[in-house]
Formats: sequence, C-alpha cells, structure tokens
Amino acid sequence: MTTTENSSAPAGSFVSEVSSASLIVTCGPGGVGKTTTAAALGVAAARAGRRVVVVTVDPARRLADALGLDAGAASDAPHRVTGLPGIDTDEATGELWALMLDAASTFDRLVHEQTANQKQAEAILENPVYRAISGSLSGAQEYMAIERLHQLYTSGEWDLVIVDTPPSRHAIDLLEAPDRLIGFLSHPVYRTLTVGQRAFAKVTNAAASMFLWAVRRLAGPQIVEDTVEFFRSLANIEPGLRKRAGEVSVLLRSDAATFVVVSSPRAEAIGEAEHLIGALRDGDFPFAGVVINLIHPMPDPLTPADRAALADIGEGPLADHLSWHDELTDLAVSEREELAVLADLAEDVSVVELPLLAVDVHDVAGLVGLADQLVGGN
Amino acid sequence: MTDPAEHWLRSTRVAVVVGKGGVGSSTVAAAYALAAAREGADVLFVAVDGRPGMGPLLGGRELDQNDRILRRIKGAGQVRGRTIPADQAFGDYLELRGVGGMLRRAASAASLPMIAAATPGLEHLLVLGKIKELERDRAADLIIVDAPPAGHAAPFLRSASGLSDVVQSGPVRDQAVEVDAMLRDPARCQAMIVTLPEETPVTEAIELANELRGDVGLALMPLVINACWPERPGLTKTPAMAARSQKVTLSASAKASLASSSVFGRQRLERQHQQIDRIGSTLGLPMVTLPRLPTPRLTLHHLGVLADALVVPLVEPNAEAST
Repeated sequence: MTTTENSSAPAGSFVSEVSSASLIVTCGPGGVGKTTTAAALGVAAARAGRRVVVVTVDPARRLADALGLDAGAASDAPHRVTGLPGIDTDEATGELWALMLDAASTFDRLVHEQTANQKQAEAILENPVYRAISGSLSGAQEYMAIERLHQLYTSGEWDLVIVDTPPSRHAIDLLEAPDRLIGFLSHPVYRTLTVGQRAFAKVTNAAASMFLWAVRRLAGPQIVEDTVEFFRSLANIEPGLRKRAGEVSVLLRSDAATFVVVSSPRAEAIGEAEHLIGALRDGDFPFAGVVINLIHPMPDPLTPADRAALADIGEGPLADHLSWHDELTDLAVSEREELAVLADLAEDVSVVELPLLAVDVHDVAGLVGLADQLVGGN
Repeated sequence: MTDPAEHWLRSTRVAVVVGKGGVGSSTVAAAYALAAAREGADVLFVAVDGRPGMGPLLGGRELDQNDRILRRIKGAGQVRGRTIPADQAFGDYLELRGVGGMLRRAASAASLPMIAAATPGLEHLLVLGKIKELERDRAADLIIVDAPPAGHAAPFLRSASGLSDVVQSGPVRDQAVEVDAMLRDPARCQAMIVTLPEETPVTEAIELANELRGDVGLALMPLVINACWPERPGLTKTPAMAARSQKVTLSASAKASLASSSVFGRQRLERQHQQIDRIGSTLGLPMVTLPRLPTPRLTLHHLGVLADALVVPLVEPNAEAST
C-alpha cells in the first residue's frame, strides 16, 4: 500500500507524523480509545525504526497488560515493550517503551530538579499541603502530562515522545495548564505570601491577610501555617516553574510537536472533538489530524427483490436476522452522517476511521493491527 | 407496576449517578429523573460540572445555577434542574455561616482557586455541602446528581473524608463531617453506577463500586448496564438455518447481506452476556439493562424509551453470585 507525505491531501494516514515528529500529543473525550491510539502510534513509529516512548494516563487494565505496565508507581519509569513483530531483530533499530503517568511523582521530580539542595526539596515534599495538592491541584494532572513530555523530550534519549492526555470534557484545560500555573504564581496574594517574611503575622498586604484570615476561619489555624510554609517554599522553585511553563508552551507550538484528536462517532464525543479542534487552531497548535474510533460496520444492503421477498416473514429466527440487519444499518448510516461533520471540520488534515472491534485490544498483536491502519491510509 | 413509593427509583433522597467517561451516565441520570417524575416525584436534577445540552434533553432550557422547572408530567411529578458551580457553592456557604462581609471580601480578593488550592478537595466538598443543604431542606422528593465524569467521580465523593486528613478544625471540617454522614446513610444518599456491557467499562465499574462501597461508605443502587443490544436469539443460527426453520427460501444475495450483519451481532451479544454475568456475580448487585438506541444523537423521545426501561423488574445476579 502506498502512502503520501503530502499533508495537503487528506491521506487518511499518520505516516509522516510517526516518521518525522518528535512529539505527538493525543487528546479527546473519555471512552474513545485515546490511550490505545497513542500506543498504536507508538507501535507504528517503532516499526518505522524509531526509538519511541509512550506516556499513558490511567490506561485500561488490558491495555496496560499489553504494554507490560503494572498498576502502581513503579511504572512511572519507561519500560521496554517486547514482542513487537519486526523490531525484535538484530538489524531493526526501532524500540517501543511505555510508562504510566503518575502526577504526584512527576511533581516531586520537578521539585527536586528546581531546588538548590536536598534540604530545600524536602521542605516542600514533606509539607502536608504539598502532599495533598501535588496530585489534585486543579489542572495538575494535565500540567504534569505536559511536564513529563518535556522531561522526556529534552533528555535526548528518544526519537519520538507520544503523550496521551487525561480525558477532559474541557480538553482545552490541558493546553492552558502551563498558563494556569503561571497565573497562580502571579496572583497578588501568592506574591505577598512568598516575599520572604518569616511569619505570616507580618503579612501586611490587605488581600493576603484577608486570605489567611479566611483560610484560618474556614479550615483552622494549622492549615494556615502549612499553607504559608508551602507557598514560601514554592517561592524557591517559582522562577524555574515559570521558565518551564514558558518553554513547554513554546515547544507545544513548535514544528517538533503535533496533536492528534481522537473521537468516536457518538454525537457527544464529536461535539467535544469539534471544540478541541477549534481550540487547537485558535491556539496555533500544530494539528496532524483526527482518529475516529469505534465505528460500527456497515452491513451489505439487501436488494429490493430480497427485501420484497422478506416482507412478510412474521416472527422467528429469520426475523431476528432481518431486524438486526436493519438496526445495524440505521446505526451505521447515522454514525457516518456524524462523521461527515467531523471530516468537514478537519479540512486538509488526516482523518483515519477505525472500526469497532469485537474484542478490546489486549495484546501487542492488536496494537500492530491498529498501527497498520493508522499509517496505511484507507 | 410496583407501588411507586416502594420502587427502587425512590429508595433514597439523593442519588449520585456515576460512570467513567463515555458510558452515558449523564443521559442515564436524565432518564432516571424522567422515570421518577413519571412515578409522581418532584425531582431536582443537579449537574455538577454544567455539561451543555442536559436541560434541553430534559425538555427545558439550558441549565444554570437557578432552580427551574424543565418538565411537568401531567398527573404526576416534575423535573427541575440546576447546576452547582463551585464558586456559587462557596458564596452560599459563606452566607450560611453568617460570616458575611469581611470573609466574603477576603474570598473574592483571594479568589476561590487560591483558597481551594490551600484546602484540597474544598471545591468538591462545597458542592457536596450544597447538595447536603438541599437534601436537609427537602428541596425535592429526589435529588439526582449528575456527578463529574471520567476519573473525577471518586475524588469528588471522597473529598469529605480526604479533607479531614488536612483540616483538623473549623467549619470546613464540620462541613466534611456532615457530608460524610449523608454519604454513609442509605436513606439519604446512594450511588447509581452506570456502565456498558463491554470488558473495559465493566472492569472499571467494578473498581469504582469497590471504591465507593469501601472508602466512601456509599450504598449502591442497582447497577445500570447502558446501551445493551436487544436480545435476538435467532442470531445464534446462520441466516440459512434461520430461513429453513421459518420455511423461507433465501436467495444467495439475501444470505450474504444478512450474514454481513449477523456475525458482528452474534459476537457482540455473546460478549454482552459474558460481561453482564461477570459484573453481576462479582458485585452481587441487581441490575437493570437499558437498550442501545439506534442513533448517535439523543432526543426527548429517546430519553422516554430509557425511562421506560428503568422501571422494568430488575435482573438479579447469577445464582453463584457472592453475597
């Protein structure tokens, strides 16, 4: 099968992305096979001879098994995926690695990197407020997906880094996460709290002292101490965080990166995918195309003569076949109408349609099958 | 039809409808609201994160933070709807504590994100706290909560117990204790888990059920298995065998086109049976199955079909089910 690298033709293939991009971000609504798509793109790139790492977020159990990931923090380090046909040979250069994102330990790593010494790092890491928020701070998981991508990208160890993103109804959150963190750090209250006074009692800024008063009033005095201490210690790493957020923002808009939107043919998913495509375009993010997954197969139509012959068959097993044929046809037709909306919206980028499979992808062979469809054109 | 007051749909005052992304939990929550209203209940549908389209799906305007009637059922109940944005819940909370001016100014100066960051889980807790107030005031016969999607349902419901690790005193702790008490009382609050008859959603629903029953202490309503293919026993035969048993002669072309759908249908039905058996016997909960609707775009009519399907007798888990 031949493919084209001409991106102006809707080739229905991600062959140029898997062979030349340095970063691919998959995004889209939940439940559409986003992580599976990210893994399959990784398989395709490894088979094209590249050294690839796929960062997954909360993969389904069977997919995690297929990638050799165990549930738990141990998977936060890249793990080599074995059993890929065509790349476990001596002459092949491709490698596929995978890891599972752990927002809290990524945040910890960031703190270690950005602090001058072990003592400073521990002051932050042991703070109860830090421990509670590092995994759950608004946008933290999205930000950490991007942060991990940056760490892997700059390590120079990988030809291609593929990052799956947390399912997000407002998927734009992901793209705004670095800016949101900067916004947080620039907040006047935060600034006041972090400019070096030794005790919060000395905080003179009216807004900040009201903030502390409000927190104390709502949540008790202990949390005020911890909060102030947390903001103070974060101040040490703030310049680093700010710089990093800026770098990530530039990197995501560079030629090295590209975004793939994954959707299903259900109307809600398509609505979210439309929104996301608009956000990518508005934000000047490079956009490679759309994968539409979980499409029902279209049955072969009955001829008018056959339909007439089956008009009065009454109840029974054959009637089950006929009503099922009609129902599946109706569903497949209406799904294709929904798909047309998305295909129009995608304009000149790739659109790849993947069928609903009888079984969830649960092994490397299943990923290879999807990989072939993602790069083969159709 | 069972006695409406006895029906499981009316077995609690706050029903939190939860499911991983893509299983249709918001749609099921809306169908549940309609079904309970048809049984005579005054239902309040609460969308936690204000997903668009839910108000129109229920026959009214887009939801906002004002409690509005979406639909009246002749001779029966009604469905009202609203959202609870975290910042509004915060304002209401301050109002309620009578802390007024100073604290409110502090809150707006510092902004909710700052305070929420300083007090993890606070936003969730405030929303649950608001729901608790509505329940206590008997704002409706039944409050149906369309919980946050994807991985966020469990953290949302765990916020009350989680906060008490960090916050040892003050009104937030009191709020956490009161919310926790509501979540642990089946007469006041239960969770409805929605899933699909497919492997990954079933695995995730089992994990979610264990988490909610265990950590959060929530009682579970019957499981809702959404988007089930209708039973078609005839599909176990080939089109040719089916035709013979109905004494019909099929042309070669008719055989081929029926076969093009029946192989897929037979596989899907087999998997569906396996997964329904698996979740039923693992969790030992009764189930209700909702039909897969032959459309990717739902309307008010479809919601009525789902509401009808919610009031049929429950499917009990298999005999070998654990207790």
